[in-house]
Amino acid sequence: MSRVLAWLGAVALVFGLGTGAVSDPGASFARVNVAFGALALGAAALLGARRLGAVAGPLARRGLWPAAARVGLALLAAVAVERAAAFTGLRFDWTAEGRYEPDAALVSRIDGLCEPVEVLLFGKAGDRRLRRTRLWLETLARHEKLSLHELDLAEAPPEAHRYAVGGSNRLVLRRAGAPRRFERVERPGEGGLYEALTRLCARPEGRLLWLDGEGQGDPELRAPQGYSGLAAALETEGYAWQRAPSAGLDEIPESVAGVLVVAPERPLHPRGAAALERYLQRGGRLVALLEPGTDSGLDALLALWGIESPPAAVLDAPGPAARGADANALVVQHWETHPISAGLGPGRAGYLPGARSFALRKPDPDDRLDAVAWSGPQARRADEPARAEGRYLPVAVAGRYPRGETETRIFAAGDADFASNHHLRSVYNLDLVLNAVHWTLSREAALTLRPKLRETVQFPLPTRDALGGYLGLGLLVPELLLAVGGAVWLRRREG
Amino acid sequence: MTPFLALVRLELAVLFGSPLAYLTLTGFAGVSALLFLEPLRVYNQLLFAYASTNLGGFDTGAIPDSVNLWDTVFFPVMDSLGLTLLAAVPLVGMRSFAEDRARGRDELLLCSGLGPGAIVAAKFAVCAATVLAMLAVAFVYPAATLERGDLGSAHLAAVFLALAGLGLGLTALALACSALTEHQLVAALCAWALGFALWDFGWAAPLTSETVARGLQALALRPRFAALSEGLVSAADLAYFAGLVAVGAAVARASFDLRRARA
Repeated sequence: MSRVLAWLGAVALVFGLGTGAVSDPGASFARVNVAFGALALGAAALLGARRLGAVAGPLARRGLWPAAARVGLALLAAVAVERAAAFTGLRFDWTAEGRYEPDAALVSRIDGLCEPVEVLLFGKAGDRRLRRTRLWLETLARHEKLSLHELDLAEAPPEAHRYAVGGSNRLVLRRAGAPRRFERVERPGEGGLYEALTRLCARPEGRLLWLDGEGQGDPELRAPQGYSGLAAALETEGYAWQRAPSAGLDEIPESVAGVLVVAPERPLHPRGAAALERYLQRGGRLVALLEPGTDSGLDALLALWGIESPPAAVLDAPGPAARGADANALVVQHWETHPISAGLGPGRAGYLPGARSFALRKPDPDDRLDAVAWSGPQARRADEPARAEGRYLPVAVAGRYPRGETETRIFAAGDADFASNHHLRSVYNLDLVLNAVHWTLSREAALTLRPKLRETVQFPLPTRDALGGYLGLGLLVPELLLAVGGAVWLRRREG
Repeated sequence: MTPFLALVRLELAVLFGSPLAYLTLTGFAGVSALLFLEPLRVYNQLLFAYASTNLGGFDTGAIPDSVNLWDTVFFPVMDSLGLTLLAAVPLVGMRSFAEDRARGRDELLLCSGLGPGAIVAAKFAVCAATVLAMLAVAFVYPAATLERGDLGSAHLAAVFLALAGLGLGLTALALACSALTEHQLVAALCAWALGFALWDFGWAAPLTSETVARGLQALALRPRFAALSEGLVSAADLAYFAGLVAVGAAVARASFDLRRARA
């Protein structure tokens, strides 16, 4: 009887669990089967124990206790060892791209969170991306300031409507103490999470004036040549920005943390240029992104501060990236030791689609003028003869000018396109421009290298090649196994 | 030769003296190759479709992140291989004790000077070696293809560790089931059902509280197997599979006492 019950119980349990695994686990068919299976197996175990008691003698039964104790001990030891191993948190990331090693900047951002943050992972069953996202978030959630909660979109949780979650594998980050403050991450990744956490706990860092009116880059234009990405990145870092036509600029207010001039195509309006000059004289901060081949409109002003920049483009030895429309592109790999370029070096490049160079001359002995980024060693200016000897040319510079109790700071780059929507997220461009803003505004604590996209393998492995391997090595192994198996069988028959 | 080695040798001779082991190995190699080829074909087609639609060649910006070699090919293959192992490993372990029981050889073994623990260890060693050979044979083809793509040998090692952990855990379950019956078929079915039941408790999450669901999922095979095959090698997952082997061996060992009590 006990065997029949055990068999019936096992069948019911397998069908119940199977139905639950492949369809709705709450279906009555699955529930009834699981319940019946569990009851039948329990009853079978009881009957088996009674039968054993009836058949075996007391001495034999006594011998069963050590066996049961050994099984129990093994079970306990297994659980204890597993829990202890989990407690140590010992794990190794063996992925080629180090996917589960959190970026240092992200860890630092989590460490510096203003309060604990809940990460809601919305997913639908069957979405294969969830597994990786979950593992990655579990790695991050080991930090006490982050907690992970998974929500099934199929059950239409109210949170999905509240946070307007549009699909599976999306994240919502909310502050534990202020759930109304939340951020959505549409594509889970270190960069997205880093920026969402930054926005979630952002403190106001000051107001930037975005000079306008001479064909400058547009902070609201979303097209590739626009600068809406830069404007959004500045907001993420806590900066408010405001467009200011230079023609209407009588004075730059004290409350302005810095001035941004992005790719002017004509000389600044005299009124704006004068206001900017007065602002710098009293310790103002300027970030100037210039373009080669045009009158930047800032040449005279920058020259007062020892920064001269002929408009001719820098011609570098053609690299792999120099092609097509970006024939004068520079892949910047030579960085000077400077807070702005800290952490950058060979393999951590900036991409400038075309740049002008600078010549530096200190206006005052106490001033400090530094090149931040250099061209390659064989560069020359386009207005120099082709046979001119190649040399390193500075393409981004930074200056500090202490004047009494104030200090003026200027950062100038010989290119503005590198910060346009098209190129902002290329290599380390975003870090260059944001760190330049932070440094110029004396926000050194905010200098960092932001997380980069880890490479995903997206090249084809042609099936024909794979089949070639299959027909060679892949088929050889089964062929040998089959041959040996047949020979063994035949020899046994003959023997 | 020690009795232990003699038993190992005997078990190997019995296992590989019949064509069944070779057929199982051949079948598993063939099935794993086919499991690998189909997702690879789909992956190449998807890449081609995206590249054609966007007319941008194989520009990474034109292809969604979700279409990549790991997500589209390797992880579905690993899931399928895991499920295939659930079915194949019980076939290897089913005869270990059940056949001895059916033919009355178990008492003979106990008279050989080997204790029950050593007998279990010897039989586990032979089954484990067979399962590992099976996995190595099945792994040759995907590993050779992926290695040609220079995807990182450390990750491939993690993938093999995942397969080995799952294979050894299932072997211990199969041995435990085989030790509790004298019918090979019952042993295989029992091991399959047990492995299947332990595979994944994700379905139970909507039916229970978050804590219970998390506890159940900690018992499941699939999340551990998946984490290892993702390249994330954690001590806890390795300890889980080692624990499964220990519990399976303890149950197999206890079957000797159970039989003695019944006698």
